[in-house]
Amino acid sequence: MFIDFIRAIRKIYISHNIVLWLVLLILPVVTSVFMVNFFSAEIIQHVPIGLLKQDRSQLADKVEMALRADPVLEVAVECHDRSECEHAVIRGDLQAFIVLPYDMERRALRLETPVIPVYSSGQNYLTNTFAVKEIRSVISAIGADLFTKQMDDPIHVELKSVSNNSGNYQGFLGLGLVTALFHLAGILAAVYLFSFPFRDHRVREFLQAAGGSRVVLGAATVLPLVVIQWLSMVAVYAYARRALTPMTFDEFVVVSAGQLAMILACSGAGAAFVGITGNMRMSSSVAGVIAGPAFAFAGQTFPVMAMPLVVRGFAFLLPLTHVLKVQSTMLLGSVGKAHAWESIAILLCMALFWHLLASKLLFLRWKVAIEKEADWEAREKLHLKDKLKNIADAVYSDLSIRKAVASEIAKRKLHKGGKND
Amino acid sequence: MTDLFKRLFKVAFAEWKLFYTDPAAVLLLVVAGVLYAFYYPTPYMKQTATDVPVAVVDLDHTVMSRELTQMSAAAQQIDVRYVFSDIREAEQAMAEEKIYGFMVIPKDMEKTLRNGGKTNVNVFTHGAYVMLHGNIGTAFTTCALTVGATTKVKRIALGKKVPAAKAIAMRDPIPISVQTMYNNTGSYSNYVVPSVLVLILQQTLVIGICILGGARAHRKFRKLQRDSSVENELMPYRYFGRSLAYFLHYCSFILFYHFVVYNVFEFPRRGEILPMVAFAIVFLFSVINFGMVLSQVFLRRETSMQLFLYMSIPILFLSNFSWPTELIPAWMKGFSCLLPSTFAIPAWLAIEQRGADIYDAASLLLPLAMQAVFYLLLGLVLTNLRDGSKLKTGDM
Repeated sequence: MFIDFIRAIRKIYISHNIVLWLVLLILPVVTSVFMVNFFSAEIIQHVPIGLLKQDRSQLADKVEMALRADPVLEVAVECHDRSECEHAVIRGDLQAFIVLPYDMERRALRLETPVIPVYSSGQNYLTNTFAVKEIRSVISAIGADLFTKQMDDPIHVELKSVSNNSGNYQGFLGLGLVTALFHLAGILAAVYLFSFPFRDHRVREFLQAAGGSRVVLGAATVLPLVVIQWLSMVAVYAYARRALTPMTFDEFVVVSAGQLAMILACSGAGAAFVGITGNMRMSSSVAGVIAGPAFAFAGQTFPVMAMPLVVRGFAFLLPLTHVLKVQSTMLLGSVGKAHAWESIAILLCMALFWHLLASKLLFLRWKVAIEKEADWEAREKLHLKDKLKNIADAVYSDLSIRKAVASEIAKRKLHKGGKND
Repeated sequence: MTDLFKRLFKVAFAEWKLFYTDPAAVLLLVVAGVLYAFYYPTPYMKQTATDVPVAVVDLDHTVMSRELTQMSAAAQQIDVRYVFSDIREAEQAMAEEKIYGFMVIPKDMEKTLRNGGKTNVNVFTHGAYVMLHGNIGTAFTTCALTVGATTKVKRIALGKKVPAAKAIAMRDPIPISVQTMYNNTGSYSNYVVPSVLVLILQQTLVIGICILGGARAHRKFRKLQRDSSVENELMPYRYFGRSLAYFLHYCSFILFYHFVVYNVFEFPRRGEILPMVAFAIVFLFSVINFGMVLSQVFLRRETSMQLFLYMSIPILFLSNFSWPTELIPAWMKGFSCLLPSTFAIPAWLAIEQRGADIYDAASLLLPLAMQAVFYLLLGLVLTNLRDGSKLKTGDM
């Protein structure tokens, strides 16, 4: 049985099938590393803003210099009029612009509190929020220096994101995206591996390699997939996590267990999709529809609690939601461990359900496919016999024609020779 | 001339018929575009995340700390579900995801402030949730700073012996007023979905073209029509005829998104006709030619789908819709120039969301037009090469 298992693995995985390795390993790893490096700047900086200086005073210069010195902001355009800045915002060249109004300094010194209008695009929600917050703090700092330089603010607020103190985007989004990509990969790779024998009409061949056992064939298909994807996911996750607080061994074990449970659930779901649809094209489409936008439903960017009830139900059915929960609770350290195991248990239940469903359906599909393939082979043989007969007939008739022609030519020659004589 | 158009439209019509008869094409070129447009925005139906459950850890237990707690409870973004006396209780509640953040009011805060000292208020948010971090942070910070501002005004008034109104002006002599030009409500769906809609158009169109073999002749999957004259027209007729079918079909999608999807989800529609038409022409030609180029690479119909599904997330982020381009590594920026969505998403947002006129849109559409020409030339060359090659072609 073990030898059959190894033989089946060889047959499935060690072949000249570049698409299999692309889907299984290369693309998930490459796209995940790509996404992690995409956020290599870690925090939002250099948000382009515009400045319209109607006031040409020292205070205005001071505000401008402070804005230019701020690392989060970049004064990309100094506009001549409001319309110039507005059009730059419309084109997307600027995220916001500030108008330093006429007589700003004079009115400020007279305590007339001249209001500085800040026009924010608002379209790019996250970047705009950062930019506006930064503009507010720069301008209020300059303002505070005018009359109350020696007087500190009585309350200082420190905003801390637990285990991601600097608000690092590799931590916020990078980790979630890596998991989302492997969630998709788990389903897609299972779809590919379980459906390509149907597509290429090779179910009998694979089953023969597995010693005729469907259990062995199923195990030989799914086990290497799970091991390869799990190990690569753990490696990429560790690479992405390097910018944050290091994990303890316990935390690492819990997160890895969650990831393994997710890959198991995803591979089961992918196999079940093949069992339900019976072909690669349809099952890939189903996998794409469900797993493609899964990240939007999993609650990391937009919280699940703010979603409509039906969507919350759908989010609960996605393995991604639960593994992200495991990862996020483990970001909080040991306090989250007990709750992480609850999510892992849900993932394992999902894996069990999908694998049972997939085995039931695939066993039936394989049985039907074997019969069909045998039928096709018989028909092919029959066709081959017919073809051979046709060819033989054609050759025979061709030969007889040639014979007839040759005898005719010989006759004519004989006739000619006789005449010449 | 009439014959030219006749042949062109014959090819276009044959291809268009295929969109509704080939099961894979129906799924991608008809169903996916409609389904995704309604399916993707549903999580964001409520648009903003309000009443996020939070807690306050009150270590001070004074009138001032209770005022601060009440002020926080009144904030729209957050919902103060618990008031704890121990920070560990708050940590536990956060691990159980009962709350997503908490504010710690330090011991002796009131005493310190009344004695003229300064104090630190810490706000902790869950490290995994980017949006909640911002919402909770803004709400708690505003409340704490308001209490701080009141104290500071009192100090100025007493210290400089000025009336309260003057003290207020001295505390903040140049206040700012933020005007949000677009997306006034801070809607998350308004921020994400329009960009995703353009990506849906691009991805379904490219995969659809690849699934139908682009401009190839003699496509195996066509079985009975494999040897028909329409299927094996001269290369330019095949290329432009099929492109025309995709173009007209996807124009209807753009109209559908503009008139139906934008209405249903209440996104602002500021697009003027002229820039919208220009966008549709340039964007679709760029994507169609991009698809025609890629379709020459695949040997099997479904391979493009499997590979492109992985690409959707990186492609979306490369389009500069959420992360500033200046912060992307240079090689990624270079790579992104190969993708139509990199230019199309900012152009669509400018036209449809921010109401750009044709002059504003021109600078955004120019790189897309250049891309269209580049891929057109490459597509013609590759199709010609594929026609002459004897490569094994799977089911294509």
